[in-house]
Amino acid sequence: MIEINDLHKRYGDKTALDGVTFSVRPGEMFGFVGANGAGKTTTMRILMGVLTADSGSVLRDGRPLTFEDRRRFGYMPEERGLYQKMRVAEQVEYFGRLSGLTASGAKKATGDLLEQLSLTERANDTVDALSLGNQQRVQLAVALVHTPEVLVLDEPFSGLDPLAVDALAGVLAARCEAGVPVLFSSHQLDLVERLCHSVGIISAGRMVASGTVDDLRDREGRGRLRVVVRGASPGWAASLPGEVVENGDEALVSDVDGDGQDILHLAVKAGKVEHFGWQRPTLTEIFREAVA
Amino acid sequence: MSGLWLVAQREIITRGRTKAFVIGLVVSAVLVAALAFLPKLFSGPDSYTVGLVGGQSQALQPALTGPAKEMTIAVREFPDEAAASDAVNAGDVDAAVVDGRRVLADGEVDRELGLLLESAHQTVQTQRQLADAGLDAAKVAQAMRVTPLEQVSVGADARYASVRVGIASLLVMVLFFLLIYSSMYVAMGVIEEKGSRIVEILLTSIRPWQLLGGKILGLGTLALANLVVIILAGLGAAVATGFVAELPPGMTGIVISTLFWFILGYAFFAALAAALGSLVSRQEDANSVLTPMTMLMTITYLVAYFSAVQPGSAVARILSLVPPFSSMVMPVRMAGGEVLAWEIAVAAVLMLLATVGTLLLGARIYQRAVLRTGGRVKLTEVVR
Ligand SMILES: Nc1ncnc2c1ncn2[C@@H]1O[C@H](COP(=O)(O)OP(=O)(O)OP(=O)(O)O)[C@@H](O)[C@H]1O
Ligand SMILES: [Mg+2]
Repeated sequence: MIEINDLHKRYGDKTALDGVTFSVRPGEMFGFVGANGAGKTTTMRILMGVLTADSGSVLRDGRPLTFEDRRRFGYMPEERGLYQKMRVAEQVEYFGRLSGLTASGAKKATGDLLEQLSLTERANDTVDALSLGNQQRVQLAVALVHTPEVLVLDEPFSGLDPLAVDALAGVLAARCEAGVPVLFSSHQLDLVERLCHSVGIISAGRMVASGTVDDLRDREGRGRLRVVVRGASPGWAASLPGEVVENGDEALVSDVDGDGQDILHLAVKAGKVEHFGWQRPTLTEIFREAVA
Repeated sequence: MSGLWLVAQREIITRGRTKAFVIGLVVSAVLVAALAFLPKLFSGPDSYTVGLVGGQSQALQPALTGPAKEMTIAVREFPDEAAASDAVNAGDVDAAVVDGRRVLADGEVDRELGLLLESAHQTVQTQRQLADAGLDAAKVAQAMRVTPLEQVSVGADARYASVRVGIASLLVMVLFFLLIYSSMYVAMGVIEEKGSRIVEILLTSIRPWQLLGGKILGLGTLALANLVVIILAGLGAAVATGFVAELPPGMTGIVISTLFWFILGYAFFAALAAALGSLVSRQEDANSVLTPMTMLMTITYLVAYFSAVQPGSAVARILSLVPPFSSMVMPVRMAGGEVLAWEIAVAAVLMLLATVGTLLLGARIYQRAVLRTGGRVKLTEVVR
């Protein structure tokens, strides 16, 4: 388990992180979301040891992370870094070897990975001859080549086409299933919602929400009911308590106190109740609410 | 340790197969080899063809083509002056002697050939006139046989002075060229990795000293290989032209000391280049941030050049002990003349200390600066 404890980081008099805390369990895919400048990259760089925090700690199974731990991590930095003049396969192999693979091990892992990421045909091209999205795939291969024990990826999906997104999602899911904690940041919230077990929302250097996606949606969904009444006369919902938005047969009731049974009674009186349930917000809605 | 080797290996492979490196290697080797041919080019041809017209001229032949001459002379006979003059104009012969009285040439007679013709003419005429005066021909010939003057130098091995100065100045240029371009490669590599943030991935797998050391080692190996190729090309050309006979004794020592001092000088300047390079993230900033290093290198070059011309001067003797000047001045002095053993020892120890110090300081600056994002890092922020 990776634990991030109360990280603080200032740049001059600007506070970038102000007590960031969350954890990622083995086999968990954790989506890290937040507005531009919220502190995602800063957190991940501290996690990877390329930046030092002013205070706070990063633990793995209760022990502070060491250099040897991080060697077995897979990391994709925010600014993509590859040797432009080096060939694709050579480059992935090189990084594999730096992380401790043998020459033959690195060769094999590279071949497999390029296959999974549909890059086999480009294996002998130099990186600068590839399109941006394909360079991105190479970057991912570099992060994955040594079968890392933990994955830390800063916006891995940006710039990928839908097919590549699926391919990468597949690769990450497989690693996850093998018990690897996966932490990635993204601005594509629908994707995060689809892929992740857990999310953390950071805003201005503070965690404003974190937990499993289901829990978050349930928790945020409390207090908001969607009621559909067939054949109700217009204005039927006006008598419902709370803040009501009526739209034909349908009504959205926010700020509901209690379990909503009183609203159900009123709805039954208004007509034939076809739908009655908590309206779970999407991650995007939760996000908007949280960072507002 | 294996991280260091992997980095060095990558540098050697990727830089070694760039066009720039291969071209630099070939051009530098060809230039140095060409220099070994220069003395030949400037001394002009050492074989001539001379036309002869009339019996009087033909008497010159034995004196011209006789043994122990520094040039080889071929002789062609012509029936009359007109034919000889045509041949001169056409360039078939370098000069033609008519009736032992006049020399025909296209413009002026080549200086060395003129001297030779004149001396042959003198000999033949003297012999003839003495014989005409009734002296015994054999005796005359005997009397005319004179042992040539022998050259003896009274200075300390001054025979090789000019060759030594030549070799030393050539060495200055080669060392400067190799030092500056390989240090530049180090700096550019550092900036490339910092600017593209590759360094973030690298430094989660290996230590900064492995990355820095591997880079310096790999690029240094290439520079050393280039130096060896240049030396081999120069010596090879010297052998091919016969110039090797004029080289001073102790060439092996000169070559070994050159390699030794180059390694020290390279390590010093490369560490400096890496430290300075790690302060910036864009190749455009390379020149300005490296100015202190290029300045120091240029000063070293200038004093080394001065020492090549004046190897015995006090300035040369003092600077050959002071790092980093010693890295170029000392090998140049050693090529240019005799250097006392204690001077070499002191220079080597001081330069070694300076190099180790620069490597340590450079590694420290590099380590602190290379992961900094944002604009140019100030030196004062990272040295402390
Ligand atoms: N080198 C730096 N110097 C000064 N301020 C910095 C530096 N790096 C980051 N910051 C500041 O720290 C804050 C957090 O930045 P960070 O890069 O972590 O945000 P982010 O969540 O990754 O944003 P994005 O979604 O745009 O990538 C920002 O306000 C940023 O301006
Ligand atoms: Mg970011």
